[in-house]
Amino acid sequence: MKLSVNGTTVEVDVPAQTPLLWVLREEVGLTGTKFGCGKALCGACTVHVDGHPKRSCVTAVGDVASLPIVTIEGLATEPELHPVQQAWLEENVPQCGYCQAGQIMTAVILLRTKPMPTDAEIDDGMSANLCRCGTYPRIRKAVHRAAALMAGKVGVTP
Amino acid sequence: MLVAGGALTLAACGGSGRAMRIEHADQTGELLANLLITVLPTGRIVLVVNKAEIGQGVTTGYATLAAEELGVPLDRIDAQLAGSNDELRTNVNMQMTGSSTSTVEGYKLVRHAAAAAREMLIGAAAAQWSVRAADCTVSDGHVVHDGQRLAYGELTKLAARRDVPKTPTLKSVKDFTLIGKRGARVDARAKITGTAEFGIDGKVPNMVHAYIVHGPVFGSSPETVDAVAAKQHRGVIDVIVIPTGVAIVAEKYWQARAAAAEVKVTWSKGKVAGLDTTKMADAMRTYTSDGVAVADHGDADKAIGHADAKVGGVYEAPYLAQAPLEPQNAIVSVTGSHAEVWAPTQSPTITQAYVSDALGIAFEDVKVHVFLAGGGFGRRIIPDVIVEAAILSKRVKRPVKVIWTRESDMTQAQYRPVYAVHSEGAVKDGKVTGARIHCISQSIAISGKGFFGGALSQLPHALRTRILDGLLALFSTNSVGDIFATEGIANTPYAFPGFAVTASPVQNQLPVSFWRSVGNSVTGFAMESLVDELAVSAKADPFALRRSMLGPTSRQTRVLDALEKLSGWSTPPAKGIGRGVARHLAFETEVGEVAEVEIVDGRIRVKRVFCVVDCGIAVNPDIVRAQMEGGIIFGLSAALDQEITLKDGVVQQRNFDTFPSLRMHEAPEVIVEIIPSDESPSGVGEPAVPPIAAAVANAIFNLTGTRLRRMPLQRAYNERGGT
Repeated sequence: MKLSVNGTTVEVDVPAQTPLLWVLREEVGLTGTKFGCGKALCGACTVHVDGHPKRSCVTAVGDVASLPIVTIEGLATEPELHPVQQAWLEENVPQCGYCQAGQIMTAVILLRTKPMPTDAEIDDGMSANLCRCGTYPRIRKAVHRAAALMAGKVGVTP
Repeated sequence: MLVAGGALTLAACGGSGRAMRIEHADQTGELLANLLITVLPTGRIVLVVNKAEIGQGVTTGYATLAAEELGVPLDRIDAQLAGSNDELRTNVNMQMTGSSTSTVEGYKLVRHAAAAAREMLIGAAAAQWSVRAADCTVSDGHVVHDGQRLAYGELTKLAARRDVPKTPTLKSVKDFTLIGKRGARVDARAKITGTAEFGIDGKVPNMVHAYIVHGPVFGSSPETVDAVAAKQHRGVIDVIVIPTGVAIVAEKYWQARAAAAEVKVTWSKGKVAGLDTTKMADAMRTYTSDGVAVADHGDADKAIGHADAKVGGVYEAPYLAQAPLEPQNAIVSVTGSHAEVWAPTQSPTITQAYVSDALGIAFEDVKVHVFLAGGGFGRRIIPDVIVEAAILSKRVKRPVKVIWTRESDMTQAQYRPVYAVHSEGAVKDGKVTGARIHCISQSIAISGKGFFGGALSQLPHALRTRILDGLLALFSTNSVGDIFATEGIANTPYAFPGFAVTASPVQNQLPVSFWRSVGNSVTGFAMESLVDELAVSAKADPFALRRSMLGPTSRQTRVLDALEKLSGWSTPPAKGIGRGVARHLAFETEVGEVAEVEIVDGRIRVKRVFCVVDCGIAVNPDIVRAQMEGGIIFGLSAALDQEITLKDGVVQQRNFDTFPSLRMHEAPEVIVEIIPSDESPSGVGEPAVPPIAAAVANAIFNLTGTRLRRMPLQRAYNERGGT
């Protein structure tokens, strides 16, 4: 079947019920999307499917074959960073970093629907993503910073 | 073996090392200054980091130490994780990331290595210019003298011809320009762009994948296996029975995973058949025998006998999984009598020992490459998954990658032990007069047969011969009791007039191991709850009572003073908010925390935590802050909600739905203050964990008058068993 991943069409030969996560990681070769729980409980595998956040570990690839898929690798073209990634960098968010691709993909969608989110909206938007290192206070700051960056209210800090 | 602070050399100081260094420089333009530092002709520095990067920031910390001594910006250092190398065994004679020792070691080792390289580069430039080395300085990757400059990259060949200084001069604290400043993490960009390569992302040529089905009870083995249907699946190479389960081996992981659903297995009873943690906790709570004396000062029995008021009770803690977000995984390639491992491990040395023992090959024939790890928290010290991959690779004669499911990660134990800490404290005439504490726990020292000297005869051969001396040296510091059962209590800085500590081990076949801050994760809870009970009984302010037992000039008092101010303790909390304080000394670092707690519809909510830490010099203060924030939130998940329970030998928690971890909407605001210090660094990865449970329990008492003595606190609160 054909998949549209990060703007590129790729042909994969897998059963339709195969989880998108493993197709991305093993067939497309994009390993930035992570396996954490396999049950849509941790959010490490979050990608965008047709502009919506999806848990790729429980998404059958056959269900998304005709839809545009974006992974962490497709958020921005290096050396450019997406403003959310830029904010993450400026707040020194990652510790082990394993959950951060999923956190960032979730935050990007949150900011699309709530360009200036309140703390309560960040709670709602981000609480399905687990971080065992406990980077939540920095993620909160980084989401606020990303909102300000995207609104042009602050400049990029090198 | 490398001794902390000792000379780092390359194949000794002269002779073949020197010839090799010169030859290498002439061929490549690279200066192999020593085992840790290579200067490239581009002027970039390759730094070998002899630790696991599990999120604690060691690559950034070590890069900062190297950059400081070399006089280069942080972004000119390329940090690489060291593979197995006997010359790099710096932690109890092992290559191991644990006990919050990395920065403690690196502060000497990395600076020493970098300073040696700097002096070789300076020596080369000085010789070139015919000036005295002492008159040269370094700046931005150049050696500088009186207006002349030579870039490091231009000096590598000349520097390779110089002697490696045995005692290079380290920069003095007052001259630091990078250490102590906020620096961006060197690994942040890769981690936010998805390009960071974790163990689970590793690939080697000709590799196959294995999905392992583990039994329902720890230590159960397959008795009958029906793999006929599974073997028909596309991509499946074989279905192999190993001692710990059934492995479906396929060209792709998704193929193995799909086929696994069709494997039918019956299992042996398992090592812990019948184990029931409720019954175990009941037995530990009511256990009355004397333990082994671990500490005994003054006369605790007399103090308690003559007390006006006695406080305390049994403080309890459950088994806990470390549950790092990256599930256990490894790649192993076995060819003949050699094995090569690629894994996110906290210890190449222990991996070598386990794999060599499992395959019956020599320790030195196991080569380990260390990958970035998605969290560790102690789980990646015991290499059980690596052994499985090694056994499978030997069978299929190809490199095998094993990725555990979350369910395997959670049920195939290396848990934090269960504890019951029987505690009594005495108050007379408004003063604390004594405490008597009996720590009952499952012993890590005895349980870790593959690790510790508790059961010598059962140690894997390679461990016995290679690292036992180091381990015994470690345990000789407390040869009568399990050091982990009483650490944080036996060595408390509190001066109790009468103080007695005893320990008793509880054993079963469920392995227990290291969990961030180890015994301190429970002893901090017990001791700081007991001290709070003493303060309540003595009608004393909890800060004042603590200070009265700690001495006016101690680090503890300094931290308490700063915490009292930071948390605004003199101002009463808002209505509906309870406040509690706790402090703990672990890994030579003193941490004090104040938690502000409310209870909303029966749910304990920690709104804000104030934290003061004295960890000596903070190499990167922002990473110290991050470790405090993270340690508090990690500790809070355990304090409030997490437990591993067993019914009839079966672990009841299998994924994050039943083993909850704090999420964004419940994460407190964390305010951190670092005590300025010129002392050498002490640990930061673990010490934020121990105080948080007690700070919260004390806050709940402050709010409700209910004393919770059992973790997880939310369940104890729901059952109100603790008052």
